[in-house]
Amino acid sequence: MDTDSISVFAERKGQILVAGSGQETISCDKQSLSGAVSQRACVFCGARVVLYPIADALHLVHGPIGCAAYTWDIRGALSSGPELHRMSFSTDMREREVIFGAEKKLEQSLRELIEKYQPKGAFVYSTCVAGVIGDDIEAVCKRVEKDVGIPVIAVQSEGFKGNKRAGYSAACKAIDRLVGTGDTTGIGPLSINILGDFNLAGEIWLIRQYYEKMGLQVVANITGDGRIDDIRKSHGAKLNVVQCSGATMELAKYMKEKHDVPFLRVSYFGIEDMAESLYAVARHFQDVDWQVMERARKIVADELLTLVPEMKALKKRLQGKTAAIYVGGAFKAFSLIKAFRHLGMKVTLVGSQTGTEEDYREIQQVCDPGTVIVDDANPLELGAFLRDNDVDILVGGVKERPIAYKLGLGFCDHNHERKLALEGFLGMRNFAKEVAATVESPIWRLVPRRIGRTTAGTAHSTEVVGKES
Amino acid sequence: MRKIAVYGKGGIGKSTTTQNTVAALAEMGKKVMVVGCDPKADSTRLLLGGLAQKTVLDTLREEGEDVELDDVLKPGFLGTLCTESGGPEPGVGCAGRGIITSINLLEQLGAYAPTQELDYTFYDVLGDVVCGGFAMPIREGKAQEIYIVCSGEMMAMYAANNICKGIVKFAEAGGVRLGGLICNSRNTDREDELIIELARKLGTQMIHFVPRHNDVQRAEINKKTCIEWNPECSQADQYRALARKIDANKMLVIPTPIAIEELEALLMEFGLAA
Repeated sequence: MDTDSISVFAERKGQILVAGSGQETISCDKQSLSGAVSQRACVFCGARVVLYPIADALHLVHGPIGCAAYTWDIRGALSSGPELHRMSFSTDMREREVIFGAEKKLEQSLRELIEKYQPKGAFVYSTCVAGVIGDDIEAVCKRVEKDVGIPVIAVQSEGFKGNKRAGYSAACKAIDRLVGTGDTTGIGPLSINILGDFNLAGEIWLIRQYYEKMGLQVVANITGDGRIDDIRKSHGAKLNVVQCSGATMELAKYMKEKHDVPFLRVSYFGIEDMAESLYAVARHFQDVDWQVMERARKIVADELLTLVPEMKALKKRLQGKTAAIYVGGAFKAFSLIKAFRHLGMKVTLVGSQTGTEEDYREIQQVCDPGTVIVDDANPLELGAFLRDNDVDILVGGVKERPIAYKLGLGFCDHNHERKLALEGFLGMRNFAKEVAATVESPIWRLVPRRIGRTTAGTAHSTEVVGKES
Repeated sequence: MRKIAVYGKGGIGKSTTTQNTVAALAEMGKKVMVVGCDPKADSTRLLLGGLAQKTVLDTLREEGEDVELDDVLKPGFLGTLCTESGGPEPGVGCAGRGIITSINLLEQLGAYAPTQELDYTFYDVLGDVVCGGFAMPIREGKAQEIYIVCSGEMMAMYAANNICKGIVKFAEAGGVRLGGLICNSRNTDREDELIIELARKLGTQMIHFVPRHNDVQRAEINKKTCIEWNPECSQADQYRALARKIDANKMLVIPTPIAIEELEALLMEFGLAA
C-alpha cells in the first residue's frame, strides 16, 4: 500500500510502517500526539472497562457526571447472576464540591450505596477533577472499609495521568488488592483463572465450557461475569490463562511474583488460536493428568467437524475481498489476520491502540508484504488509508464505526458493542457469517463514489485518468 | 470605574495597606468596593470593624444559587462596600476555582453594575499567583491595574518579580497593567533606594514608601484602619498620600521582569549581602 499520498503528522511517521518494506521497527507504546485526536480512551475509561464486568461489586465514579454517564454499561458485559455492575453510580461532583472538596460527598455516597445494594466489594474510580483538587480517595475508602466489612478499593485512574494502558494498570493494581484475601479450600490441582475476557455476548461462558469439558476447575473469571469472592481466592488456582494482551497481563505478573501462579498468553479468536489455547493449557497440566489433552483434542475435533465445511463454503464467496483491522489490543489483531486468511481475504491495514514493539514485530511477520501497520491512529489517517485502498470491510470498535460508514464501507464491531459471540469455534462461525453478510450486502453499490463502477479495479483507474486531465 | 488588584508576598501587608488606602479614598468622597480573594476571608475586617461576614462561597454552599447581593455585600467604613470570596478549609478542594466562581457570581448579582456608582473596585488577592484561579481578578474585563506590595526583603522582591511575570502574560491577552510597587517598609538598609531601583528595572515606579509604624498594629487590634482609629496620626497621612497618588496615577505599564541573577546583583549592590 502506498502511504505517501496520506498526510500524516511528522511526529507520527515513525508509528506507521509497511510490512516487507525493510523498515524493521515501529514507534509505539508512547503518549498520543496532541492534536492528533487519537482513537484511544482515557485512563479512567481503561480502568473502568477492565473492572466493571465484576458483577457483584459496586462501581462508584468519583467525578462530574459525564465520566460515569459516558461509560455506563460500556461493554455490555453479561452476568449470570447479579447485575450491579450495569448501574453507573457517580458522586456527581459539581462546582460546590470542586471548591470545597468532595470527600464528604464521596463518603456519604459510598455508605449509602453499600447499605442499599449490599455489594461484595466496592471500587471507587478517581477522575481528572478529583485528581486536580486532590481529594484523598484512598483515605475515604479505608475509613469506609473498616466500618462496612467489605473491600473498598480506590482506583487511581485520573484521566490525565497517561493513556488507556495506564488505566489498565490502575485496574490491575486494584484487583491485586483483592487477590490473596480469600480462602482457597476446595481448589484442586487442575485449576485455572480466566484473565482478560470480559464476557461480551456471553463469550466467557463458551470458553469456560471448553475448559470444564477438559476437566479443569475455573476458579475466577477476571473479569467477565466476575465475582469478588472468586477473585479473592484466585491465588489458589494453578494457572492463569491470559487473553487480551494489554489489560490483565500486569495482574498475571503480580500473581506470578506474589503467589507463584504461572501464566499463559492465549487468544480465543480464530480457529488456530482457539485450538492452540486449549492445547497450551492442556500441555501445562500434562504431568498432572494426561487425559486433559485427550479431551482438548476431542473438543477441537468435534467443533471442526461442522465448522470447516461451513468455512469452506464462505471462503468461496469471500475469496479476494479485502479487510482492514483497527483494534484496541494487538493480540486481537494477530488473531484476526489469521481468521481473514481462512476466509481467503487479504488484510491491507492492521492497527492497534496499545500494541507494544514485540506485538508489532509479530504482526509484521504474519502480514503480507505491503500491509500498512499503524500504532495509535486517528480518524483522519484511518479515513485516508481506507479511502485510498477501498477495502470491503473494516473491523474495529465503536469509534471506528462512523469512519467506515461515512466512507460507505462494511463494518464489523469486534469490540464492546458486539452482540454475537466472536470467541471460540462458535465465534469464528459467527464472525465469518457476519463478514460475509456485510461484505456482500448490496447497499455498498449505492455509495455515491461507487455508483457506475462494475468492479473496484476499473473505477479506480477512471479516477486516476480524471485526476491527470 | 477603576478596577485595581493588589498582589504581593504572603504576610507583606496587602490587606492592611488595601483597607487603609480604601479608607483614605472613601474620605476623599470616592465610592469603593473591596473584594477579598483569600480563602481566609480577612481582607475586609478593618473596614467592617471586625464584623464576621458570610463569604460568597459560604452563602453559595448553604443557600445554593439563591443568593442575594445583600447577603454577601456589606457596608463598611464611610460607605465602602465589602465582600469576601471565601473558600475551602485548608487542605481540601480548590481555592482557585472558588475565586473564579465567586467573582462570576458577584458579576451575575450585579455587584459591578453602573447603578452601584462605584469609583473603585479593589481586589485583595492572597499571596502569589499560585494557579489559574488566583489570576482570575486580572483576567480580561476584571482588574485593569495592579499594585504590588513589597519590602526590601529578598523574598518579597522575588515574589514581586514573579507576580510581574504573571502580569505580562495577562497584559498581552487582556490589557491589565502594572501601576507600581508599594513599599511597605520592614526597615531594611537603604530600602527606599532599593525598591526604587527594582521598580525602575521592572519598568514601573515605587508609587509610595509606607514607613513602619506601631500605630498600624494598634489600629488593627481595635479592628480599624489607622484612618478610622486615629485620623490625626502620621500613619493615616501616609495612607492618604498613597490614596492620592493612586487616584492621580497615569503610569500604567507592562512590566519587564528580571532574571534572578539580576535581582541578586541588585541586593549585593545595595549592601544587603555585606
